Amino acid sequence: MGFFHQVLPGIGTKYELETESGDLISVIFMPNGRVQLYTQPARCPDCYAADLNPMESRRLGNVLTGAIMEAEEEGVEIAFSALADLRIVVHTYIIRDQLSGKSITDLDIRSRTGVTILAVSRDGKNTVNPRPDFRFMSGDAVVVIGESDQIRTFEQEFME
Amino acid sequence: MEGMEGIAIALAACVVVALICRRYAIPPIPFYIITGLLLGTAGLGIVGTSEISEWIAHMGLLFLLFTMGLHLHPGEVAKRRGSFLIAGTIDLVINFAAGFAVALIIGLPFYDAVVLAGAFYISSSAIALSSLIDNRKLGFRESDTVIWMMVFEDIMLVALLILFTAQDVSPFRIIGIIICVAAAAFACVWKFQSRLWQFFAREDELPILAVFLAVVLAVAVSELTGVPDSLFVIILGSAVSLAAADRAEVVVRPFREVFLVIFFVFFGISVSLSGVPSLVILTSVIVLALISKLFSGLVIGKAIHGRIYSGIDIWADTASRGEFSILLALLYGSSAVVPIVAVMVVVTSCVGSFTGKYSTHIRRWCGHIATGK
Repeated sequence: MGFFHQVLPGIGTKYELETESGDLISVIFMPNGRVQLYTQPARCPDCYAADLNPMESRRLGNVLTGAIMEAEEEGVEIAFSALADLRIVVHTYIIRDQLSGKSITDLDIRSRTGVTILAVSRDGKNTVNPRPDFRFMSGDAVVVIGESDQIRTFEQEFME
Repeated sequence: MEGMEGIAIALAACVVVALICRRYAIPPIPFYIITGLLLGTAGLGIVGTSEISEWIAHMGLLFLLFTMGLHLHPGEVAKRRGSFLIAGTIDLVINFAAGFAVALIIGLPFYDAVVLAGAFYISSSAIALSSLIDNRKLGFRESDTVIWMMVFEDIMLVALLILFTAQDVSPFRIIGIIICVAAAAFACVWKFQSRLWQFFAREDELPILAVFLAVVLAVAVSELTGVPDSLFVIILGSAVSLAAADRAEVVVRPFREVFLVIFFVFFGISVSLSGVPSLVILTSVIVLALISKLFSGLVIGKAIHGRIYSGIDIWADTASRGEFSILLALLYGSSAVVPIVAVMVVVTSCVGSFTGKYSTHIRRWCGHIATGK
């Protein structure tokens, strides 16, 4: 078990994993950001391959770590098994018209729901840790962090 | 037409060729050469070479070799053990010897025979690597063998370049200068490794300027010392690979892509088929070029992977000769060698792109025949 890694000159870096059942999985990272993924079932001469762009490979990685709870939404749950199984959810939402022009303090987000607004993305510019007087505009993408109950409350309070 | 109009016509033709090749996922290199043959001396005679086209083609060559140097990371190469040397040596001995024998049989003088043997031996890394990526074959063990065989061939190319230069300059002088330059380059990169990495990570024009300067500097130093610039850029590339191989490759790519297309098409344009031997001789050279790589592939497959069929996969991706064969013919070959190499590159790389695409089918088909199904 364990990954075996080697440099392939002119191609990129290859990671190989042989699973307990004898299947072989290879991942090749290329300098242009693309990733090729190969699986070779045990006792089968054929290889099955997929070519992924950087976004696709990140998503696949999330699925494999079990991080994505709801595949259709842009959210990730991270479990810290060392910290009494602390589970934190990071979720993105799009601000709708009714919240436009209101600030984080106006909405009293932290005390009403417990979540923290981690970042806001507007017209391709990101604001990380926005100040309490930050005013939302319709169409802003916000990244929210909290426990799953708090995230649910946030959805009910502001997103419905 | 010479000068800029000629370059414009040739480049325009190449854009169309590239478009068609991308559409059908075939390697464009042989078709650039065919385009050159059609436009140039051997064909319609529309475009001729000029000083500018020669300069650009030469830069293409240098950027190609710089990229090759980037793949020669000394630490990674030193880590390779038995299988790398075994596969590389089998490939070298069988194909170089076969090429040399062929050259002597068709009556080339000794020096030209060595050039043809080198061109016969060295496969096209560009075609092999893109075939492995495009045809999704990187998962196979045989692909690792092919990739490292290309590295071994690169090292042998360096040896050949030194050998050919030793004709004009004393070998001790060349080797002395090369060791000094290499020691200086590697020491500098090693000393400023982290700073160089940061430098190449910059998004502005500086890394691009620095790479271009490095290559131009190599030409200047070469004029002073008499050692070919091709050797200097390989050393520089290899030194840079210690610090920022991936990033440097991204920076060099635009230069290489553009200049190398000019290199291929103007190689085709400059070829004159007047000195070409008879069609029978030419055909037998090409057939032998394919067979000797098949034979070495089978031996390597048996030696490294324990299965003779692995050799078919290895052959499928290494049958193409390309950029390095042309390089040897252009730099060192006489007018008797150049057209032979041109035709050999065009035919083997067309065949090679086909075998690369269908290697699994070919292997299965051979398996069926062997088992009598």
